[in-house]
Amino acid sequence: MEEKEKTLWGELRKGFITTNPLLVLMVGLCSSLAISTRVENCIFMGLAVIFVLTCSNVIISLIRNFIPDQVRIPIYIVVIASFVTIVDLTLKTIPAVYERLGVWIPLIVVNCIILARAEGYASSAKVSHAFMDGLGIGMGYTSVLLIMSVFRELFGTGKIVLFNTTVINLHIKAVPVILIMFPGAFITYALLSALLQWYQARKKPEAEEG
Amino acid sequence: MMRHVLNLGLRLFLVCAVAAAGLGLTYSLVKDRIAQEEAKRRARAAEAVLSSIGAQPRESEELTALLQRDFPDLITVFEGLDEAGQRAGYAFVLKSKGYNFITMAVGVDLEGKVTGIKAVTNEETPGLGSVALDSEQYLAKFQGKGPEPLTLKVDVDAWTGATFTSKGIANGANMALEMWKRLQEGGEV
Repeated sequence: MEEKEKTLWGELRKGFITTNPLLVLMVGLCSSLAISTRVENCIFMGLAVIFVLTCSNVIISLIRNFIPDQVRIPIYIVVIASFVTIVDLTLKTIPAVYERLGVWIPLIVVNCIILARAEGYASSAKVSHAFMDGLGIGMGYTSVLLIMSVFRELFGTGKIVLFNTTVINLHIKAVPVILIMFPGAFITYALLSALLQWYQARKKPEAEEG
Repeated sequence: MMRHVLNLGLRLFLVCAVAAAGLGLTYSLVKDRIAQEEAKRRARAAEAVLSSIGAQPRESEELTALLQRDFPDLITVFEGLDEAGQRAGYAFVLKSKGYNFITMAVGVDLEGKVTGIKAVTNEETPGLGSVALDSEQYLAKFQGKGPEPLTLKVDVDAWTGATFTSKGIANGANMALEMWKRLQEGGEV
């Protein structure tokens, strides 16, 4: 029992570092580069992706023995698109959120992280593992989004505005606006990716010595 | 071979059927809330475009039905009533083609001047068209135009990078002016 819990915990944790979807697997980049201009957007996008990823992982893992190999991709897409539509409809009842996020929600369908996890993991894993994997990968995705957006919004606009309240204000006049524009997305992403590579490369020799 | 194909089709069908049932259930649960929110948003936009002449909106099913025959893109008409309860203008909520579809409210006073424009839903390209449609400063440039149809780049400049959105706004304003004219000719003013 303890052994099983440990692996479940491992399934959850691996999404943050070793198989981080954005920085290591490098999937699902397009929408993440586009929305990481504002912290607020990333919070909602992250929550939506966690929900869709976890639900689709569980459902696909549940029916993995029922899905014939030849039509597995259409089935994955039906499952994922259904959950995205559910999120879309639910968010429509909260206009304040939907106004900001509406255009990004349909993009979750084409977010390759979800299809990649369905195809590469959930289709051959136990339900409990698939659930933890979805949660872990989703949270790994969200944490990278948050780091990127805090960096870009803070230094690109000089302040962070959350739900119409200014949380942090640096009071600097000449901000590097490039950070919230497209090149800024790539620069931030490359820096983070390099940082993680460095961290892992540094950890490895230590582990070998230990 | 035939049985194999049928088997695949049947399983795919089953998954789709369950998904469709789930979606239908979700939709039936939220559809009233969504309709309510949309009606509220339309009313708020109508209030905003009529505020410059100090009028309050009141939805008029009668005028909506009358105008919708000739203007299929019209969603609903509000009458603007001043403090004495006299009609002071109209707010037309209508759909206009920008880069995507723009739903917007256009206020027109009794002289046929635009009193204000506000987007009800903004589905224009984020960062380009959406900025123009969200800019109160830009929309204010349409204020006071009319009753003659306005021309983009003559009466109002187009927003750089959002030509389609600017056209959509101008066309929507013109549609509202045309409806105002129709109401006037029909003796409704």
